[in-house]
Amino acid sequence: MRWIVLSAITLAGLLSSCTGSPRLLEYPFDPGGRSLNSLASQLNPRIAGRYIVFTSDRRGSQDIYMFDTVDGRLVDLPGLNQLNTVASDPAVSENGRYIVFAASQDGRSAIFLYDRETRQLRNLTANLSASVVRHPTISADGSKIAFESSANGQWDILVYDRSGQPLSVPTEPR
Amino acid sequence: MTSLVVACSPTNYLDNPTYLNSRYNDEQPALSGNGRFLAFVSNRYGNRSILLYDLQQQQLIPLPGLNQRNTIAENPSLSYTGRYLVYVIGIQGQPTVALYDRATQQSQLLTQFYPGWVRHPSISPNGRYVVFEGSSRGQWSIEVLDRGPNIELDIPDSVLPGTSAAPSP
Repeated sequence: MRWIVLSAITLAGLLSSCTGSPRLLEYPFDPGGRSLNSLASQLNPRIAGRYIVFTSDRRGSQDIYMFDTVDGRLVDLPGLNQLNTVASDPAVSENGRYIVFAASQDGRSAIFLYDRETRQLRNLTANLSASVVRHPTISADGSKIAFESSANGQWDILVYDRSGQPLSVPTEPR
Repeated sequence: MTSLVVACSPTNYLDNPTYLNSRYNDEQPALSGNGRFLAFVSNRYGNRSILLYDLQQQQLIPLPGLNQRNTIAENPSLSYTGRYLVYVIGIQGQPTVALYDRATQQSQLLTQFYPGWVRHPSISPNGRYVVFEGSSRGQWSIEVLDRGPNIELDIPDSVLPGTSAAPSP
């Protein structure tokens, strides 16, 4: 793996003088879409441990990808991307096993949990189908999932455990 | 008619820091790696702010120095124990990824050098790497920033100074 500092001599003066100045890492660019970046767009990256999950339209539909920064290649996610859904905003647990994402299908939104070990997809928001749900996230330890819901006529944050049970979070009375 | 006009009494959220959800929009949740803390963007104080909620103690945690007047901070992301919080802030009209360290209560700009727009940062649980969307290739691409080997990592069981009775060296 090549770890190259983004060299920009003219900009060097702008770099902070703090010790260990941040530097950009460069992963192989693949126009064929087999690496982190392609000629298409890459959106909403989330990093946990060695994995980066993101969405890309590199194959003509917006799908979710997972890049392994140690092996330097994409990881197969069999059964995750469905032909008739737009997937967005993925997040991954640190061990790479659980991926949450938002899916839109026939005008409805849902939050799905994908288990890479069992290759199972689970709809966590089947009981919220009357509202819009978006922007899911999962903690690195895989224990909690949070997302936004429009059920109360504004954006609220719901927190679930991994089994799909809502946690009770204090909400201001309306 | 006057009886129909019922003013909502404004809630003093500073005195009631127990609500995760307010009567205003609460958006963009980000969980700490251990699942205890939740950073999010809220409109409850009359300006758009990043707030931090402790799901265990069920209360908001102050983030002194993070939210500045006349700027908007968005897209929070947390490290494992919630020590590091990365977010996007507008610096003279230019979106910039910044990192707030709860141990020092200070923010540091990470992408001032970056030749393009930036959005949606995410910090690795140990706090060393930050990924974000960048526009420098004429397309939204994923950039990976390495904060270097000398940073203090945020790993399981590490404790924020001042939050427990951990003995000091």
